[in-house]
Amino acid sequence: MNVLEIKNLTKKFGDFIAVDNMSLAVQEGEIFGFLGSNGAGKSTTINMIAGLLQTNGGEIKILDKNIASHSKLAKMNIGIVPQDLAIYEDMTAYENVRFFAGLYGLRGAELKERVEEALVFVGLLDKQKSLPKDFSGGMKRRLNIACAIAHRPKLIIMDEPTVGIDPQSRNYILTSVRKLNEMGCTVIYTSHYMEEVEEICSRIAIMDHGKVIAEGTKEQLKAIITDTRDIWVEVKNTENLEEAALKEIKGVNSISIEENVIKINSQSEVNNLNHIIQFFISRLIEIRSLQEQAPNLETVFLTLTGRNLRD
Amino acid sequence: MEIWIIFSKLIIILFIGFSYVHSETGNLAWSILLILLYISMNIPLYLVRMEKIKLCIHLGSFILICYSIQEVNPLFLLLLPMNFYEVSAAFFEKRWPLLLVGLLPLFFMEGNQAVYGLTALFSFLVFFMTGRYTERLTTYENKLDKMRLDMQRLSKSLNENQEYVRQSEYTYRLEERNRISQEIHDSIGHSMTGALIQMEAAKTLMAIDQAKAAELLQNAINISKEGIEDIRITLKNMKPPTEQMGLQRLKLQLEEFSIQHQLRMPFVYKGNIDLITPIQWKIITENITEALTNSLKYSGATEISIDIHVLNKLVRVEVRDNGSGIGSGKVVKGLGIVGMEERTASIKGTIIVDGTNGFSVTTLLPIV
Repeated sequence: MNVLEIKNLTKKFGDFIAVDNMSLAVQEGEIFGFLGSNGAGKSTTINMIAGLLQTNGGEIKILDKNIASHSKLAKMNIGIVPQDLAIYEDMTAYENVRFFAGLYGLRGAELKERVEEALVFVGLLDKQKSLPKDFSGGMKRRLNIACAIAHRPKLIIMDEPTVGIDPQSRNYILTSVRKLNEMGCTVIYTSHYMEEVEEICSRIAIMDHGKVIAEGTKEQLKAIITDTRDIWVEVKNTENLEEAALKEIKGVNSISIEENVIKINSQSEVNNLNHIIQFFISRLIEIRSLQEQAPNLETVFLTLTGRNLRD
Repeated sequence: MEIWIIFSKLIIILFIGFSYVHSETGNLAWSILLILLYISMNIPLYLVRMEKIKLCIHLGSFILICYSIQEVNPLFLLLLPMNFYEVSAAFFEKRWPLLLVGLLPLFFMEGNQAVYGLTALFSFLVFFMTGRYTERLTTYENKLDKMRLDMQRLSKSLNENQEYVRQSEYTYRLEERNRISQEIHDSIGHSMTGALIQMEAAKTLMAIDQAKAAELLQNAINISKEGIEDIRITLKNMKPPTEQMGLQRLKLQLEEFSIQHQLRMPFVYKGNIDLITPIQWKIITENITEALTNSLKYSGATEISIDIHVLNKLVRVEVRDNGSGIGSGKVVKGLGIVGMEERTASIKGTIIVDGTNGFSVTTLLPIV
């Protein structure tokens, strides 16, 4: 089932087209990544999904229901962690979560239970009486996540949740995203940190100038660029090297030698690393270092757009 | 030039006339005769072409003036400087000494010195100024004429070249057609004829010797089979590979554009170009043309680079100029870009338009 389906979505600000005829679908159980540089239209799209921005065309469906006609249902099923923190600094952590959960119609014992559950989830239960203004950036972010998940939404949208926070909180957040997903939540995760997206997302849409320019699993995205990888083996000496035999190894396309580095171009899908290492060992060639040069999402983005993700 | 000198002479004559009437001396008839004589001498001066005759006329009007000064009125002296300059300018390069000579009579005359001085200077000015500017004008006109001629010559040769190109294209096509028809004739014509003869023979033999007829028919079948194979091979050899067609055409087009608009246009292609299909080539070429036109119109760029990169599952074509780009990075789509988008979307591709570093249009086409 599609948790989210976007068809020909368009958003204009004056003459400027921020989201340009975008179509995509997020299936249940996915961690779906929006990857793109600043200004690619990620946040605009999210704001439209959340119903905060009017669209200029196209449609958005949440759980197969158009959000224009079923806005309440849509809102009940979405939890949003916005890019800019949305918490009240002079209310305690507990009160913040209770307030937001209350907006979704939770009352009484159920409300209390859900608020505590959310606070436990983000690891802030022991800080529930503290005011957020004393929190670190990472803690504020976690509190914000708690506010977004207390009503148990089916779809959680996180807009750049790791911008400007310490590595520990970042890891905590990434872990909790996975945990949420395991608990059955579908997650949309936007970031311009390629590593994060590559690490946690099951499917990724690369966005640029308001368009989805490529979509798929990270393997599919990398395969757009190339279906080979380079394995660089630095050895002590290349005297006993029999190039022909090395080329015989399954999956190896070509070999080039620069001084003591042997560059092996091989098919990505063939796992032949063992054979390659075996090759060197059996010929008593000492391996100094071994590295794999495979494309990452950054390379994919760079190759497709000609620009760096963080430009 | 002549007309200005005639006018200045007329002005002097009018002046003489007026002062004469005012001074109320006799000899009115004489003076009118002399003035008319002067005029009738000085008008043909500009109608004749031969230098000698001109000189004679000048001499005549000189004598006339001198006579008038002596006999009728010294005021006629005022006509002298202009004639003097006209004659002497033909012989002397330097002008200022001429002015001094022109002013000489000042020292020999009594009264009217101021008027004479003024007239001499005025004539000098008029004569040499008109002279100089007319000369300049003539030079410019000559230059212009020369340039016009050059232009005519060049455009003519350009037309001829274009005609030549068209002609040679046509010739090539004819040659090619010739070659094809020859090839068809050689390979297919022969086998068809062969098969036909065998079949005719088989038809005749059918009633008499069936076994023989069957054999002949088998022959005909074999020959036809070979013929079909021949056709296949011929066609395969003749049909140029698509990548060559697309690439060559594009290169040619880029070269033309580069020369026409004096732009540097580096063109790079990477990867396996063979994978690009004809329809993709068509769209790539159209998009490149559109992007080039845009860059030319709006960017003020001196360099437009074109980059075709065939990746594993995608063709990426980038046209990037080094022009002004769009400062805010917010591209407003015009009809051209929308056209490119529609074209590209028709084969499931995408366009990225970016104005942050120069202006670039990137076409992404999936390889199926």
